Amino acid sequence: MLFLTFFYKLRDCGLNVSLGEWLTLIEALKMGLHNSQMVDFYYLARAILVKSETDFDKFDMAFEDVFKSKNLAPDITDTMLSWLDKSDMNDLLHEMNRDYMNQMESAVIDKEDVETKFKDRLRDQDSEHNGGSYWIGTMGKTSFGNTGGNMGGIRVGGQTGYQSAFEVVGARKYKDFRDDRVLTNRQYQLAFKKLRQFSTRLDEPETELNIDGTISKTCNNGGYLQIVMQKPRKNAVKILLLMDSGGTMIPYTELLNDLFQAVDKSRHFKDVKCYYFHNCIYSHVYKTPECENGDWVETNWLFRNLDSDYKVIIVGDAAMAPEELYSVNGNYRGPNDGLSGWDWLLLMKRHFKKLVWLNPKMAPGHAPWREAETAVKGIYPMYKLTVKGLNEAMIKLMQK
Amino acid sequence: MEQTFQGTTSYVASKELMDSVNIAIALKKPLLIKGEPGTGKTMLAEAVANSLGKKMLIWNIKSTTKAQDGLYMYDTIQRLYDGQFGEEGVDDIARYIKLGKLGDAFDSDEQVILLIDEIDKADLEFPNDLLWELDQMEFYIHETKRTVKAKHRPIVIITSNAEKELPDAFLRRCIFHYIDFPEKELMAEIVKTHFPNVEEALLQNVMDVFYKIREIRDIRKKPSTSELIDWVNALQIGGISADRIRSELPFVGVVIKKDEDLETLKQNKDKF
Repeated sequence: MLFLTFFYKLRDCGLNVSLGEWLTLIEALKMGLHNSQMVDFYYLARAILVKSETDFDKFDMAFEDVFKSKNLAPDITDTMLSWLDKSDMNDLLHEMNRDYMNQMESAVIDKEDVETKFKDRLRDQDSEHNGGSYWIGTMGKTSFGNTGGNMGGIRVGGQTGYQSAFEVVGARKYKDFRDDRVLTNRQYQLAFKKLRQFSTRLDEPETELNIDGTISKTCNNGGYLQIVMQKPRKNAVKILLLMDSGGTMIPYTELLNDLFQAVDKSRHFKDVKCYYFHNCIYSHVYKTPECENGDWVETNWLFRNLDSDYKVIIVGDAAMAPEELYSVNGNYRGPNDGLSGWDWLLLMKRHFKKLVWLNPKMAPGHAPWREAETAVKGIYPMYKLTVKGLNEAMIKLMQK
Repeated sequence: MEQTFQGTTSYVASKELMDSVNIAIALKKPLLIKGEPGTGKTMLAEAVANSLGKKMLIWNIKSTTKAQDGLYMYDTIQRLYDGQFGEEGVDDIARYIKLGKLGDAFDSDEQVILLIDEIDKADLEFPNDLLWELDQMEFYIHETKRTVKAKHRPIVIITSNAEKELPDAFLRRCIFHYIDFPEKELMAEIVKTHFPNVEEALLQNVMDVFYKIREIRDIRKKPSTSELIDWVNALQIGGISADRIRSELPFVGVVIKKDEDLETLKQNKDKF
């Protein structure tokens, strides 16, 4: 079934082809729309299955792979490799891991035993561990955590280092249905729609019916109808977006990009200002994510020029070193202007009435080992940068 | 397929574009057209209408457009006024139901082309609100308890400038075509359909400069087909000779609209 292979290959390549679209293609083929020609088939399949020009490349790769490859044997290994490379193919990976483990029966790894220990340690452990040989953490030798060297343990989230962990805790098959998952631009845009605060502008034509006005005028008019129209209301929300583009934020570049696009495309705001900072906000904020000295505006300029009713969204991992946050010389890339990062954050808080901090890697609950994060949490309401967190943050911004 | 679209004398379409149109017609699905501004997305619908000899209805989408606007409007205010002055037929609600563009397209006695222009201008939810209507080609008017069902399924062409992302559920129901920026040969053909008597040397020079401008990396707003056509027109009216185009870039303001782009162009002048 070369044809079905093509369907799965497309999905492997990250194209979200639905069954409906696939059936449409089959219907089209039945109608002979491909004129029995490969090139026409190519355009037919692309027009039906691909809905964005940015995905054309993925389609081309899949198409070439399926219909041009003469030698199928190495092709399969290629496919396997691409599976291994895909985070969204975790259920398959999961299955392969289990098969692998079944073959490894002699390796004396008792799954239940590992799970019991895991639960015990989850209960007992109270801090972050990296590189140890007992607690759950990264780079370690126990059966728990991630990026570890132990075969067949329980992996706790994270990027897959060794692929043999038989239970991938934190990578669930149905995660798409959960609202705490980091999701697409569109969902961000929907979240931003919560930021509405209507006010009447003067330069608009009167296009809406004023019901109260109409009733009272009509009554005064002895029951004869008199219509009163009013100006439509406009959103008055202004946004100041401040994004961390420090080194620790690099893994989240795509996420931030999505967020930025979502704010940029949400046209219902009265004004959107966007600046960048490096690790912490000091005397200047940068105009570009590269954070080049000189290409900036003074933080005081923000205070002078932006009213206090700008709603401030700060995006950052709040993973500053303590001296970056508290020392008056803490900014190792630029000027501090006599105040520590902490003081600048307090000034921000004093000037703007509504601020939220979105953190892509916020620790759940109380996390005392993340000193800066805990400190920032104390002055700014902090939310994890997920669809759910964003929604909560937006509600916070709109509260009176 | 009884009728197929083959391009028209005034609209030059690439083979892939014509195929996409015909696929959409055959599969009875909306055709979603994306592409750089000025690549003739809107003109395509006109060309399809001309080529197939059908009437075209245009539904221009604005940021305030609601899905309901395309179906029907119930003019309650007019009815209230009429009721006050005892006009005839106030009890007939149907008199105050006005069909929108989509309603008109469904209600038409012949098959029409319906162009939903710049669908991405509308609210994020807008495309989702139309799913049922575009799928089933019918809608229900609550006030008169009447179902408007398409007598002849309209050929629906939708254009988007990709300002907003469209919802997946909507995309799944469409046939998609991305209008590539035309290659030089196709472009020459397009210009000639507008100006059949254009001087060959002039066209050659204009096209060379035009494509070079597009290649300059720092140009923010890349000039498009429609701007090239305007430029050729301006040069012809101004009676500029072909050899002056490269050295002087006359009327370049027709092609380049942004101040910073004009500045960039000056810096790259030696390239032409």
